[in-house]
Amino acid sequence: MNIEQTLQTAEKILAPWNKDTLRPESNRMDMVVQTDELRAATNALHDAHWGYLSAITGLDLGVESGQLEALYHFCSGPVVVSLRVRVPRENTYLPSIADILPPATFFERELSETLGFKIEGLDESDRLFIPDDWPSDVYPLRSDFAVEQAAPVSGSRIDEIPEQGMLTGNTFVIPIGPQHPALKEPGHFQFTVDGEIVTGAKMRLGYAHRGIEKAAESRSWYQNLYLFERVCGICSHTHAMAYCMGVEKLAQVEAPPRAHAIRELVAGLERIHSHLLWLGVAAHEAGFDTLFMYSWRDRETVMNLLEQVTGNRVNYSANVLGGVKCEVGPEQAAKIKEGLDYLETRIRHYLEVVTTDAMFLNRTRGIGTITAAEAEKFGLLGPTARASGLMRDIRIEAPYGAYVRYPVSLVTRTNGDLEARCEVRLEELLVSCFAIRAILDNMPEGPLTARMPRKIPAGETIARVEAPRGELLYFIKSNGGETPARIHVRTPSLCNWVSVLEKAVGRQLADVPMLIAGMDPCFSCNDRVVTVLRTDKKEAWSWKQLREYGIEYYRR
Amino acid sequence: MTANSPQLWQQVIDKVRTWARLNSIWAVHFNSGSCNGCDIEILATLTPRYDVERLGVKLYGSPRHADVLIVTGPVTRQARERLIRTYEQMPEPKFVVSVGSCSISGGVFDGCYNVGGSVDEVIPVDVYIPGCPPRPEAIIDGIIQLLKDLQGGKPRSAVRPNVAAELPS
Repeated sequence: MNIEQTLQTAEKILAPWNKDTLRPESNRMDMVVQTDELRAATNALHDAHWGYLSAITGLDLGVESGQLEALYHFCSGPVVVSLRVRVPRENTYLPSIADILPPATFFERELSETLGFKIEGLDESDRLFIPDDWPSDVYPLRSDFAVEQAAPVSGSRIDEIPEQGMLTGNTFVIPIGPQHPALKEPGHFQFTVDGEIVTGAKMRLGYAHRGIEKAAESRSWYQNLYLFERVCGICSHTHAMAYCMGVEKLAQVEAPPRAHAIRELVAGLERIHSHLLWLGVAAHEAGFDTLFMYSWRDRETVMNLLEQVTGNRVNYSANVLGGVKCEVGPEQAAKIKEGLDYLETRIRHYLEVVTTDAMFLNRTRGIGTITAAEAEKFGLLGPTARASGLMRDIRIEAPYGAYVRYPVSLVTRTNGDLEARCEVRLEELLVSCFAIRAILDNMPEGPLTARMPRKIPAGETIARVEAPRGELLYFIKSNGGETPARIHVRTPSLCNWVSVLEKAVGRQLADVPMLIAGMDPCFSCNDRVVTVLRTDKKEAWSWKQLREYGIEYYRR
Repeated sequence: MTANSPQLWQQVIDKVRTWARLNSIWAVHFNSGSCNGCDIEILATLTPRYDVERLGVKLYGSPRHADVLIVTGPVTRQARERLIRTYEQMPEPKFVVSVGSCSISGGVFDGCYNVGGSVDEVIPVDVYIPGCPPRPEAIIDGIIQLLKDLQGGKPRSAVRPNVAAELPS
């Protein structure tokens, strides 16, 4: 089905509730829907199996207009249909769609905490992103927000462990975070356990919530490039690439083909670094430190290549608006190929290790299994979804930039367990190596950058790219000025959390570290907003103890 | 001073302690809202290419067994209290290494509504390692500087605010 047909299908499904249709871009359709008809419209899309809910963007239309707007982005291949719901500032009530589409849970929470939408049935005492000491009626993304309004208020903290860790009978709360040695990132989980079995899971993010989306509104288009690169240090290139692609679309500037090729090349190298990093961390959680050290040793090879191409090991700054700033000459191409030769042999070896090592398989095979239907329901993305047999990869569904010219092949598995996720990630690296070679062999000639205006024309756009962890979505709105009006970032980890929270329940506590590692979480992405276990109360376990417990449990 | 004098014993014990500390620095890592860039570079210094374990440095999970607190990232409001608490849990003498531009000045996140500013506004810092993120070589250099200071018996920064007073009771 081509883009036009897909759009028409959606239009037909949504016809009864459609008040106004806009076609801002060839692959996008905006539909204005009434607040009380949102659920019916969502239900219709869901029943017709049209696409998936990718993000919900909240907009403040300004104090003068007295309105807030929520955009529900549904994606199907390259097509994005946005349901636009406007509510008055005095009555920001929105119905919840989380019972129809579970991934909406986190998105609605974000809307309620940052823009003050009153979502039906949402418990506002429990926060996910903004700090516990934040005053209750102040919303940072509102246009009339001033930092002075957000003076800390006293109150209890969510990560405070209950004085009596024991709840009833044999049920304990095991808190994890916000500082924990394994993931190097802050977050907080509370797992309720009955003996060995996890009976409940709760999560608190927000330790790395810095307020980037708000800061972006006061910085110029060029300054923001460096800000968005630092949303996440692991996938910084994909963030910058999504931002640049979006701004270029708004400015109607097409980056030169050579720039697109170099962007894909760096993205491929970044994927190798990210997945090798993940393999090491996952192996560490399983108690397989030898694999951890080996994979990080080999990761240094790709770090060298990245440094050689861009000049930096992390936060590469390869992108500029309108192109890239680094050139790849024949000498560098030869070095990259040499590095890839070595990496390919190592990746094949690791692929053999994760599928044959009995100890490692004990921790991965048949654990955390997610069926394709569940993955679809939870709205999973990236390798976590592909391991369950869901064909979800923006590079293939909606090729962007150089992926049209240098396509990658889809890697999927159907088992949906942790072993399948290991295999998918490692096999993807071989695909990436292949694509990088293709780029190096057929690099288009030409300039590296196109000229960009200082002011970006007014408009809205959506840029979607495939980050190492899954689909990354940028919503960019310009009012025609030197600074953006609103930039909304929806990162893949936010969608994948459900896989941990849902799958931990009913499993052994010993599996929890591997489940968390299995989705390759990235907290700073989420948080733009994880876990220290306190050891001073006997009920509380440290992450280390939990990890050691897991290793010990499976040794028996 | 006789061989039995308590001061002499104290001196000998101090020497042994300093020697031991110099050769086995245990560090705990705290991310107070960083982008992960510094964190993965810190992890990289522990792995085979850079291998700080050859200097006796070990990353340890619990602050209660650590000598050095490595802090990355600007201090966010939600992480601030946890940072103080982690610092308070460490036994004396303790040292703080602040890694990355954000932890030194707020960096690119300076002015964001949820960022309180630099680490040294919250807890006393001994070594600053600039960079966005600093290369592993720079991190190793920072550790060496800390070791050198300890070797020379450099006194700790005189102002050691009682940060525990800020914790909610």
